[in-house]
Amino acid sequence: MNRLEKIRNFCIVAHIDHGKSTLADRLMEYTNTVAKRDLAEQMLDSMDIERERGITIKLTPACMKYNYKGEEYTLNLIDTPGHVDFSYEVSRSLFACEGAILVVDASQGVQAQTLANVYLALDANLEIIPVINKIDLPSADIAGTKKEIEDTIGIPCDDACEISAKTGLNIESVLDAVIKNVPSPKGDEDAPLKALIFDSYYDSYKGAVSLVRIFDGTVKAGDEILFMQTNKSFIVTEVGIFTPNSVEVDRLRAGDVGYIAASIKNVSDTKVGDTITLKNNPVDKPLDGYKEATSVVFCGIFPLDGDKYQELQDALEKLKLNDASLHFSKETSIALGHGFRCGFLGLLHMEIITERLEREFNLEIITTAPSVEYKVYDNKGKVYDVTNPSEMPPMSNIAKMEEPIVKMEIITPKDYLGGIMDLCANRRGVYHDMQYIDANRTKLIYTMPLNEIVYDFFDKIKSISKGYASMDYELAGYQDSQLVKLDILLNGEICDALSIIVHKDKAYQRGRALCERLKTVIPRHLFEIPIQAVIGGKVIARETISAMRKDVLAKCYGGDVTRKRKLLEKQKEGKKRMRRLGSVDLPSEAFVSILKLDD
Amino acid sequence: MSDEENRPLGLYIHIPFCDRKCDYCDFVSYSMDSKAQQLYLEALFAEIDMVRSEFFDKTFDSIFIGGGTPSIVYEGFIASLARKLYSSFHFLDNTEFTIEVNPSSFTREKFFEYVQAGVNRISVGVQCLDEKLLREHGRIQSMENIEETFKMLNTSQFPNINSDVMIGLPGQTVDSVVDTINYLLKQNVKHISTYTLQVERHTMLYSKLRKGRLSPMKDKTMIEIYNRIDRILTKAGFHRYEISNYAKPGFECKHNLKYWDDGVSYLGLGVAAHSYIDGYRYYNTKRLDTYIDDMKDGKSAVYSREYVSDEERREERIMLSLRTTKGLDLEKFKKDFNEDLLRTHTDVINRFIDKGMVEVKDNFLRIKNAYFAVSNSIIVELI
Repeated sequence: MNRLEKIRNFCIVAHIDHGKSTLADRLMEYTNTVAKRDLAEQMLDSMDIERERGITIKLTPACMKYNYKGEEYTLNLIDTPGHVDFSYEVSRSLFACEGAILVVDASQGVQAQTLANVYLALDANLEIIPVINKIDLPSADIAGTKKEIEDTIGIPCDDACEISAKTGLNIESVLDAVIKNVPSPKGDEDAPLKALIFDSYYDSYKGAVSLVRIFDGTVKAGDEILFMQTNKSFIVTEVGIFTPNSVEVDRLRAGDVGYIAASIKNVSDTKVGDTITLKNNPVDKPLDGYKEATSVVFCGIFPLDGDKYQELQDALEKLKLNDASLHFSKETSIALGHGFRCGFLGLLHMEIITERLEREFNLEIITTAPSVEYKVYDNKGKVYDVTNPSEMPPMSNIAKMEEPIVKMEIITPKDYLGGIMDLCANRRGVYHDMQYIDANRTKLIYTMPLNEIVYDFFDKIKSISKGYASMDYELAGYQDSQLVKLDILLNGEICDALSIIVHKDKAYQRGRALCERLKTVIPRHLFEIPIQAVIGGKVIARETISAMRKDVLAKCYGGDVTRKRKLLEKQKEGKKRMRRLGSVDLPSEAFVSILKLDD
Repeated sequence: MSDEENRPLGLYIHIPFCDRKCDYCDFVSYSMDSKAQQLYLEALFAEIDMVRSEFFDKTFDSIFIGGGTPSIVYEGFIASLARKLYSSFHFLDNTEFTIEVNPSSFTREKFFEYVQAGVNRISVGVQCLDEKLLREHGRIQSMENIEETFKMLNTSQFPNINSDVMIGLPGQTVDSVVDTINYLLKQNVKHISTYTLQVERHTMLYSKLRKGRLSPMKDKTMIEIYNRIDRILTKAGFHRYEISNYAKPGFECKHNLKYWDDGVSYLGLGVAAHSYIDGYRYYNTKRLDTYIDDMKDGKSAVYSREYVSDEERREERIMLSLRTTKGLDLEKFKKDFNEDLLRTHTDVINRFIDKGMVEVKDNFLRIKNAYFAVSNSIIVELI
């Protein structure tokens, strides 16, 4: 048996909570890749946030050795992120494999994200190995789940592994199935180097490290490598594999999965999807499927305390070191001062970044309403990409506007169909199709504007369906739209950080809701504060915060002085945390309120 | 600040006894028999003996006996306390000597005892004349007692009567407060303190409000009450010299004024009393048994003290001065804190002036009467 025949490169595809990370842990334990005692719960999820939410975002590969019928096999597990924001990363990871384990929860069945990722896996010509997980649960329906996989995906499930990753039941059957069914990689280690970057990370000693699958050729320390998309070259300082900690090896050859370090300063030079070759013996053309990571959702991030601007910048730069898909540039807001306009792959990505800023960097931040990228055509035919409402040209100069739309797939138990269809209609969704997955569940297909889902759509879907529905979307181009910029005036002054771009038909409702909400979160002042929602100078909604009539009129004798002073100091401290616009103090909740408007 | 060090001190004595605790009260008080009162008096004597030497070179010009209910202690208590004070500290001739009395325990005998002891200002705890309302809040007091108290004081032409009026009791109406004020004017009081009810934790009232059995007074009602009181008392020749205090000219409470002047020290004696001496605040123990035991053992009654830093003193100066109608002496402020408030807070002060909330006159910054109700919000912008 040659070297390649004893290698299997595979990944795991699963819906959130269906047990992907637990299974990965179990596989490593069975192959003695990690001793049981060292196994931090869910080894592969290396970030706190991922672990807390039980979802995998960033992937760490693992190289496992497994003895099957007297032969030692090398099993490379490439974990894939389960969220739609990262579908491009998923596609590159899948491209690095020959097979995929499809994990389905026997008590929940196939979900929207599972489907989306399985289709990606099928597109990449991967061998799919169905695994029915959580068979130990009383609610497990093994036969039903198998039938569902056969009906919706069309994969025969007679020999599907039936396991419990949690208890370790039948884990070996999964390993055996991988060896039996996943094709071994093909490739020529003597051909020119052709390696796919499926991920990268920043290491403070090694610099930007590329995670690669070698398709052809060999790479070792000292080689001069060329990144074909960026056309930059570097000298390799180290190559290695993950066990799952990085371990240096003398070379990586065709079929292998590992890492290449070359003292690269920026992760933006190690772009996911790029092809690495040797400078002096390059391949003719790079691997197919490379895409630039583009930002889809944008928002402003400002420090709560204006003095922390520099700290925020440092934090963003540190995050960017490891995350080439995070984009940011300086932004100045009248209401919020200095901050950054940031671009994200999607909502989850945005949430992860803001949470990491708060948790890992201890920064208190204010984020503005998420926006998408609009195309604005002015009267002279010039096109502007507008991601920030404050950059929108005056309405009178605008000839037309386009907004991004998505193709949305939602799988829901049929009890919630009505509620979900109402929600989609309310969010300007256009119905396309409805497919029955089984007696109970239905798949809905809509196209809808991206800006209708960037706020709270996913939360709504979850709450309408009591958590049972799942969704997935992909960008589907741009369409003409009647959009307007809605401004909020506080005491007559525009609060730029509260401006939003909204569809004309929803402007009135949004404006009114926003005014009402602001009225509840802005504290009373010594004077009356009118709150107005305005479109192009026309007031469409108004609320008034009446002046404060009375604060505390308590007595204040000797024993009360300290207490009273402390009370005032606390009040002053509270004020400091607010943003002052003209003479109006705005608590940070005012900026959050814009995100939480009910339909 | 040598001239300030020479300013006479105030002396406060706490009497921690009550017949019954009012539902809104969070002052330290115990219901105790005359034996306990006797022990307490002995403890006060011990504390006086312990601290007197520290004040041998100081003079006092105010005494304030507060509580609790000072009029509840047995006959002779106040007289012997006063004798002890006179023999222990130096008092100026014009010393103001106030005692708080509750009409239900204030008798003719006690009145004569107090006058003989040197009391020249009596503060009658009236709070409210609505008996039904008071009963609801656990205060024992009858209209009959109140009538008797004032009759007694006025027949003897007692010159300096204060009355406390409580505003904001759940269930209280504008009319009932107006009736109370008018009644007090007829009784020839020279000073009225108007307290807004503060709902403190650990009071009966707090739990009643929390359980929704009572609902707090609306801001609108409270503002109306304040406006009415202000009109009535102004017409009657009173002036509001501090947010919650009205007096006829010359009848401002000398003792309380010391609390609002950060340059003046005062000594507090007794359980839960507090002192402010040369920039330090001292707090006596709040437990009666601990106080009595410690005094017996010759230990200090002070269980905590804090130094008021310059920054804190600056804040207190602004906060306390702006609560008075005299206002904040900007020249003195500049001298003491090396800060020209009109320069450091130009925008804020100008905004307040534009809105007619504050005024700067003769180098004093003051909050206008109509805006005392929002003084906290104004003060917070300046500290």
